[in-house]
Amino acid sequence: MIRVFQIRRILKSVLLSTIFAIYIGSGASALDGPGISGKISDPDGKPLAGVAITLANNENTIQGLTDATGAFELAAPSAGKYTVSIDVATLPAGLTIAEPGPEREITFVQGPKVLIFKTQVGTSADQVAVKRDSKIPQLVVDGLLFGLTIALGAMGLNLIFGTTGLTNFSHGELLTYGAFTAWTLNYLVGLNMLIAVPLSLVISAFLWGWAQNRYLWKPLRRRGTGLMAMMIVSIGLALTLRYSALAIFGGSPRNYNQYAAQAGLDIFGVAITPKALIMAIIAIITLAIVLFWLKNSKIGKATRAVRDNPDLASATGINVEKVISYVWTLGGFLAALAGITVGINQDVSWRMGQILLLIMFASVTLGGLGTIYGALVGAITIGVLIQLSTLVLPTELKTVSALFVMIAILLFRPQGILGKRERVG
Amino acid sequence: MTTDLHQEHIDNSAKALIKADNLIAGYFPGVPILNGSDLYANEGELIGIIGPNGAGKSTLLKALFGLVKVWSGEVTLRGENITNMRADELVTRSIGFVPQNNNVFPSLTIEENLEMGCYQDPSKFVDSFERVSSLFPALKDRRKQKAGSLSGGERQMVAMGRALMMNPSVILLDEPSAGLSPALQDEVFIRVKDINKTGVTVIIVEQNAARCLQIVDRGYVLDQGQNAYTGTGRSLANDPKVIELYLGTLAKS
Repeated sequence: MIRVFQIRRILKSVLLSTIFAIYIGSGASALDGPGISGKISDPDGKPLAGVAITLANNENTIQGLTDATGAFELAAPSAGKYTVSIDVATLPAGLTIAEPGPEREITFVQGPKVLIFKTQVGTSADQVAVKRDSKIPQLVVDGLLFGLTIALGAMGLNLIFGTTGLTNFSHGELLTYGAFTAWTLNYLVGLNMLIAVPLSLVISAFLWGWAQNRYLWKPLRRRGTGLMAMMIVSIGLALTLRYSALAIFGGSPRNYNQYAAQAGLDIFGVAITPKALIMAIIAIITLAIVLFWLKNSKIGKATRAVRDNPDLASATGINVEKVISYVWTLGGFLAALAGITVGINQDVSWRMGQILLLIMFASVTLGGLGTIYGALVGAITIGVLIQLSTLVLPTELKTVSALFVMIAILLFRPQGILGKRERVG
Repeated sequence: MTTDLHQEHIDNSAKALIKADNLIAGYFPGVPILNGSDLYANEGELIGIIGPNGAGKSTLLKALFGLVKVWSGEVTLRGENITNMRADELVTRSIGFVPQNNNVFPSLTIEENLEMGCYQDPSKFVDSFERVSSLFPALKDRRKQKAGSLSGGERQMVAMGRALMMNPSVILLDEPSAGLSPALQDEVFIRVKDINKTGVTVIIVEQNAARCLQIVDRGYVLDQGQNAYTGTGRSLANDPKVIELYLGTLAKS
């Protein structure tokens, strides 16, 4: 009986809890310095007026109420760390603020932030009861979205490793530079994202992918540089590119001037922004095309042949350098798409590639180094795992769980999930 | 190098399809493996290279195919200088090469392995596949199987098949019988002879010298990177010095 009762409560909450609160992007806000803005409405979308909001730190306390359209706007006197809280007593009876609750920590670097407070029907006791269970679908979806993005980057990393043997520590910077290329075109040049993104994918493929191989890695290979030396070169290159990005674009996170803040959709109780959904669909289509190409096209098959045995591929009549050149171009393209996806869903920062690099390595190792589907399977697994780990681990440790899995895989199944041991003789 | 053999080589090789003159080559600077080897093969000939371990047999074959850097000397194909040319360019010029080890792409299917053989001209695939599968019928039935799951003998068939896909005029085989059971070795030699009968010039390096000399038209006996003896397969197999030094008791029995 208890279980039926619990399920009914969960169902009630899941069904009734809808999104809302929300949004409004850059244009509508009058804030030009640190501050918060947003909108609060009930689960049916009706704006809630007169909800009390407080923005406070050790020195200042700013209070405000939502207006007739449910909108609020509070300017902070200076940058720094603040606590934002909503007075739940001023909400209509029976409503609460959904996860992560009515109180938030927020840090202003520069400029205003948009805060999203979702309301839901139910008391806080209900909320605690359903907390863990209702979180799982959301975390799995978040993990899948993240995993798809990682898969784009990991696919290129894996192909480059497979065909050249290079453990490319500067692959993360391919993501960073792809994202900044799009930011330059969008924010500085002022192109619409629908033009800036495809354009920067092409630029990144040729500039960061093709040209990098042509003018750095190909000459090194021709000189017979060892793999270990090349790996060290890649570490040096990663640092050079990373700090160049810091010097050129500055240290604070950047946003594209479109799609920066967006209202979430509620799909069966899982919140997902339209932009994240669209980027996920683009990622799926891209990955499907790449896998199909590897499996069936002439160059794709040659890529697998080079990965198996470059010397034999050459002796068979394949121009190995040409294949590697294709792989780097594709790698640059995929990494840029991954970087731009992160930029759209979160922000563009000089350290983004560094943070994602180890997760990509973990994905590739988990899936099976050099196998075609390895990067994809590994990335999705790692993405979901990272998100689910927050159920039991502090959020700060979530990336660690990915690396822990990588170590465990190397200990117990070194060939990865999909890797096969090969018959000898 | 004995000057007599070199003079004989120059006299006879004028019309050769593929020819190597006075090759000096090696893997590390200052350590030559070949100390002036000569070799030629006429159109349609089956040539064997034998000799003790470390004589430079495989190195000679690799030098012909640009896999070992030639320091001095010249390799020509129909009179064109092909010394130190990149392997994929040699395939374009209709030379096929089958390495001794790791000679298939394990994660590709048998069919895909053969497809890679005519990578430079995929339009040849259908015809070549028919031709190759008539030489190696076993391949046709198992075309969708991954090459990595095959035995050593089966891999050798795939590797030779792949090298034949571009319809080469010369094919270079590096110890095709190595590591195989005696029965399979016989099978390989029969296949090599079959390939040669289709008009392809074959140059084969072999450890199994006695068996090799039975099928070849002419043979080269290498010692310390130089030609020690040359002659027809039969004459070498019966030459007392060759038997003494390189064939040992195996040939006498």
